[in-house]
Amino acid sequence: MTSVPPPFDPELAAALELIKEFISPGMSPEDIEEIRRGPMILQSMQMDLTLDGAFDIEDREVAGPVGEPAVTLLIGRPTAPATTGPLPVIYHVHGGGMVLGDRRVGVTGALEYARELDAVVVSVEYRLAPEHPHPAPIEDVYAGLLWTAEHAKEIGGDPERIIVMGASAGGGLCAALALLTRDRGGPRPIGQLLLCPMLDDRNDTPSAHQMAGVGVWDRTANETGWTALLGDRRGGPDVSPYAAPARAEDLTGLPPAFLDVGSAETFRDEVVTYASRLWQAGGVAELHVWPGGFHGFDGFAPQAALSQAARAAHLAWLRRLLGS
Amino acid sequence: MKELAGRLTALDPDAGAAVQVIGYFDRLAESRAGLEALVRGAAVLAGCPARLVDAERRVRVRVEADGTRRDSESPPDPSWPSFALTPGGASALWLERTAEAAPSVVDAVILERAAGVVRLVLDRTRGRVPADDPELVETLLDATAPEQARLHAARRLGLDVADPATRARVVAPLDRPPRVVVAPRDTGTCGGGRPVSVAPHPDGGPQPAPAHPQPLPTDTELPAGRLGIGPAVPVLDLPRSWAAARTALRFTADGTAQDPGERIVYADALGGIVLLADLVAPGAEPPPDVHDLEAAAANAPWLLATLNAVAATPSLRAAATEINVHHSTLQDRLTHAESLLGWPVRTPQGRLRLQLALTMRHLARP
Repeated sequence: MTSVPPPFDPELAAALELIKEFISPGMSPEDIEEIRRGPMILQSMQMDLTLDGAFDIEDREVAGPVGEPAVTLLIGRPTAPATTGPLPVIYHVHGGGMVLGDRRVGVTGALEYARELDAVVVSVEYRLAPEHPHPAPIEDVYAGLLWTAEHAKEIGGDPERIIVMGASAGGGLCAALALLTRDRGGPRPIGQLLLCPMLDDRNDTPSAHQMAGVGVWDRTANETGWTALLGDRRGGPDVSPYAAPARAEDLTGLPPAFLDVGSAETFRDEVVTYASRLWQAGGVAELHVWPGGFHGFDGFAPQAALSQAARAAHLAWLRRLLGS
Repeated sequence: MKELAGRLTALDPDAGAAVQVIGYFDRLAESRAGLEALVRGAAVLAGCPARLVDAERRVRVRVEADGTRRDSESPPDPSWPSFALTPGGASALWLERTAEAAPSVVDAVILERAAGVVRLVLDRTRGRVPADDPELVETLLDATAPEQARLHAARRLGLDVADPATRARVVAPLDRPPRVVVAPRDTGTCGGGRPVSVAPHPDGGPQPAPAHPQPLPTDTELPAGRLGIGPAVPVLDLPRSWAAARTALRFTADGTAQDPGERIVYADALGGIVLLADLVAPGAEPPPDVHDLEAAAANAPWLLATLNAVAATPSLRAAATEINVHHSTLQDRLTHAESLLGWPVRTPQGRLRLQLALTMRHLARP
């Protein structure tokens, strides 16, 4: 099964050289605590989320899942919206392999798109595995979406124009959220922006084997994340599609999807397969496989030419979706 | 995991930064990144716009600190930190740092490393500009210099030392410093280590087609005047190519009526003739046949050019065409020359003796 990995894009390879001190391909369960306390997470706390005053940022505690603790939402509202009336809402779900991160991680990406689109951003903080295994994370994410849809007008948002967006584990949770709202008849997002999403707990695709020990988030790290979420059930016959969307048998009736992934990452094959299955189910999906991209490359090295192209593609899709 | 390591941002000017800069550009060089990626690397790591201006090759690339390409027609500000790509040349890499900013070691390392790789890429993609730093060339050609120093000099001169297939040769002019030129990787039809000619080849064979995409020196890029050209060798063997080039230079001539012969000689093409170089010392008493030639030439100004044409062309008819005289005029001249020399030049042995005499005449010069 193993084979030579595709080469990294030259600029991304150089960027990886620069951050190799801070990030390694693998992650074991013992590493989780240390990474949570490490500089990577701390850096997100120091970021200016107002984007130089373009957004008002507030945190709100809202009702969590029935019988569960409250959920915290980070809400970013444009300080000077160019349009009157309710704005589109980007509902953001952070990444971190189901075990790391908080509502601030990666939210600048969502805010940057929202600045271009004149949109409100809501970023949900969900409980993390392994302390809180499935279904805690997806239920928190669902509860946050319910509140957002019901209280959209309060935050200047339009409940009919909610787009869910997430990268990595956040992308997987967004795909699960789309399945869950379809099945529960909950608030229906108009699109799902799934960036290098974590979809398949089986962790057994050719790309997962091919990229072992290379780049960012390899097969070992992926096993750590999924096992934290699912315990012994990981890879077995009894995994819910709301945990691992690749397990869903029915992919009909979902909102239009944008999916992307690097050619040099663990998730390549599961993302391509998921996009194909969306089309096979009669769905609407746009798929980009960025050549030589490692996992999360556009977040780690936003200046690289490939990252600029990826972000331009995200934004172009969002604009088409919103008809602006 | 996305974004958990934080974003790639401008480096802190601490001790570790220089190492990171070196690692970054080495990696770009390894994966053969293009010019824009290199200029972007400089801009992102320095945290200010960077621009590459190579007026000679009409290259202009400007990238802002956030990685976006935004070219500018305005001239660079001379107060910005910069690194010249060619000594004294108009080509340089610039960091658009305001005058108030203190000079920074990290900026200097960024400029030096980025410019080194930019030069490699320009040479690879746009052809070589003949402007070598004489001190670097001297180090590269010094067999007693440490290998590391020679490799460093080679890198700075734009040779791809990481690639074991890289070949270069030395061009030795008469009264100027030697130059190093990259030899084409694939010599196409000519195979087997034969030099790719940049001037009429002394053996008169068919000229091989220029190979791509290696930068080929062309006639116009080679210096004027007499040139000895050494064999294409691996980078660390260049002292040997230089020795051979200097020997080849002794076989050259001005190509004038008073000093007829080849202006450019390839060491590779000399074959066994090269042995003569050891037998005839420069400035020493020349062999008798050379004496005879000089004495005869003193009596007949046309003699050397005429005899050279006979020695260098395949037939007397071709020789007559070469020096632009009628065939019968040539026959008359040769009869006269043979009487002055005291030996025939139109027999096979006589022709060889003539060729040797003309060659030794060049070698005997001081």
